[in-house]
Amino acid sequence: MSRKSLDRKISRRKFLGTSAASGAALAAMSTGLSRVSFADSHTIKIGFLAPLTGPVAAWGKPGLDGCLIWADWVNSKGGVDIGGQSYNIEFIGYDNEYDAAKARTGATKLIKEDGVKFVMMLGGDTWPGVQEIAAREGMLFSTLLPSDLTPDSTTLLAPCEVHPIYNVTGVEWLAENKPDLKTAAMCAQDDALGKPSVATYLAAFEAAGIEMVDAPLFFDPATTDFAPVMTRLLAANPDILCLDTCYADYVHPLCEQAFQQGYQGQIISCTADFYQNIIEKTSEEFMEGFIFQFPDFDDPALNSEGVNFVNPNEFYAEYAKRYGASAWSAVSWEYASIMDLWADAASSAGSAEPAAVLEAMKADGTGKHAFGTADWWGTELFGIDNALVGNWPVVVIEGGKATIKEFRSIPAWWDQHKDLMIKHMTDLGQMWNQRG
Amino acid sequence: MPGTGTGKLVRRIAWQLRLVFLFAVLAVLPYLLSYSQQEIAVLLVINVLLVSSYRLLTLTGEWSLGHVVIMGVGAYASALLAKRLGVSVPVSLLLGGGIAAATAAVLSFPLFRMKGFYFLIGSFAAGEIIRLIWKRFTEPFGGPKGLKRIDAFPDIDIGFLSIDFFEPVNYYFLALVVVSASLFVLYRIERSRIGLTFHAIHWQDRLAESVGIDTFRYRTLAFVIASFFAGIAGGLYAHYVGAVNPTRFGVDQMVYVLVWAIVGGTATFHGPILGVVVLTVINEIVLRALGLDTARPLIYGAILILSVLYLPNGLESLAPRVRERVRRWRSGPAATGEGAG
Repeated sequence: MSRKSLDRKISRRKFLGTSAASGAALAAMSTGLSRVSFADSHTIKIGFLAPLTGPVAAWGKPGLDGCLIWADWVNSKGGVDIGGQSYNIEFIGYDNEYDAAKARTGATKLIKEDGVKFVMMLGGDTWPGVQEIAAREGMLFSTLLPSDLTPDSTTLLAPCEVHPIYNVTGVEWLAENKPDLKTAAMCAQDDALGKPSVATYLAAFEAAGIEMVDAPLFFDPATTDFAPVMTRLLAANPDILCLDTCYADYVHPLCEQAFQQGYQGQIISCTADFYQNIIEKTSEEFMEGFIFQFPDFDDPALNSEGVNFVNPNEFYAEYAKRYGASAWSAVSWEYASIMDLWADAASSAGSAEPAAVLEAMKADGTGKHAFGTADWWGTELFGIDNALVGNWPVVVIEGGKATIKEFRSIPAWWDQHKDLMIKHMTDLGQMWNQRG
Repeated sequence: MPGTGTGKLVRRIAWQLRLVFLFAVLAVLPYLLSYSQQEIAVLLVINVLLVSSYRLLTLTGEWSLGHVVIMGVGAYASALLAKRLGVSVPVSLLLGGGIAAATAAVLSFPLFRMKGFYFLIGSFAAGEIIRLIWKRFTEPFGGPKGLKRIDAFPDIDIGFLSIDFFEPVNYYFLALVVVSASLFVLYRIERSRIGLTFHAIHWQDRLAESVGIDTFRYRTLAFVIASFFAGIAGGLYAHYVGAVNPTRFGVDQMVYVLVWAIVGGTATFHGPILGVVVLTVINEIVLRALGLDTARPLIYGAILILSVLYLPNGLESLAPRVRERVRRWRSGPAATGEGAG
């Protein structure tokens, strides 16, 4: 054996040895870090179980980013006062990839290993995987999709976004402010998010006297070419183009197609996440008057009396500073606003235990929703009063910027038109007792 | 030759010992894992069956893009039989596999009129049709939201013994038994005359036909058997998670199966198993533990590219390569060509 080859072999051994030692050191470090985190008894852990990657990540990741700002702010002020003791808040994220099985794994990790006291979810397809664990562990969960609510899920709340019911406020505002628009065409992805939203828009259009030019067009979530979808929508020459609750990955190409196919009418949508990018791809003129439901939080209207979200303008500024203004999405503030509600309830309960917080949250049948005091509601639609419903903003793009036009009452609309809503929800099989 | 017989016996004993060791490790494994890692282990065991059944289909040379949908057929069928007709879960699991196999048998008529790339696209289209049916018909398939509150595997409670199959460790052992039995059958099929015929069709289908082998029948047989076990995997999944929906069995999931098979390699029985185990551990345990949740798709993609570049024959080729290097190293520089001159 030559000297050269011997050296090479020794160096390989050394390399392997060094690698193993480095790996062990890294593992020890990470274990050590975990221990530091666990050792802090004045920290309450909150689970964040949402899609952080994949096509639905736009409704998860920006929310976690918002929560990190919320935690930094709260912790810098000494934390949350619970039972006379201040507690820092730490968020533990788990990417469920919008998959029920991974959500189940994530929920067990957060509850049994991380010791969280509350878990925030996007919900939807992922909730069924978690439902049984929530029941067994008595853990308090929140969802952004109240279609997850059922009477047997007593520890699941929809304390912020009562999707898709708030969409009625946009249609109502549109009908009042642009009464000459009388016909609409609508499309949605054929999934658990699209269908209840279609039912809501159908009810809202009917209540507003707006006629559908065609049946709603459901496209497959795997669709990537939206030209034929838009061509079919525009074929009947509608006054209003309704994009329902499409994911950002669909809203953007749909708008692009509408622009390229020469559409000049009104567009209404539940969301317009990253709308600056849509403007870049179309034009400011094209997007002028676009109605949706999710404000930028630098809007001065959010400083009005009754809005409970703490320092919305500063929150938006900090978010834009950390992640860029174009990263702002519908959910950037929502999970943080749920945390406001949770912190209030934990403080008044004097405990972070899920049952105590739940009881405190629903104590007098009302809650401090981000957009004003609201009622715990939902028996007729969800079979349980676990949705916090009150006012919701109508947002219009003006001069390339989202602007709140008005806060409108969802319960007021419901009182007048609930029969229509129930009819359309039933027709599409979306009532709580028709699901699964 | 007596030496040959002894050699065979030694190899057989060594093989059996390795198997015993493997089962011992698998039996101890869940007790070394955290609760959430036990959950991952359950899904991993199910995915082992999925990817192994997929390999059986690839033996005939055909790569399908509909295998995950076929798994979904088993999942939906088993869930509906248990939920709507009150069939006991173990029976519905088997029937689910049977329905997946029957679906494959029906699909084989149009699909096996195609070969290669055309079969790939055809299988994708067939899978999409099935998924659209699940979405379109809310009754009985639950539409886009799918089925939930699917009956779980019945608990066992006979006084001294109480087993709750909601607990991942218990379901892990149940899945392990079912999957081990399935893998044994798949292994025996591959090693049988039928398996050799599958190989023959893969490498020389015209030649196989010339000696009287009905390639259509054998391709169908591989497809049906693979689909039966994919259906069983689907049933195991449905009764564990308690929910199925059309998105769960979409092309994204199929890409994962392809990646497992490609990274692991399909030349040997254990190749795809190696692929699914290694990639799942990296993706679900290592990268999450390192706090790289959001970077996982990027890293996963990089691993695929690197493995294709540097391990074109998959992870299964790694051990022989290492063995070869060790052999060369032991036999000295002369064998490696080093030291010359």
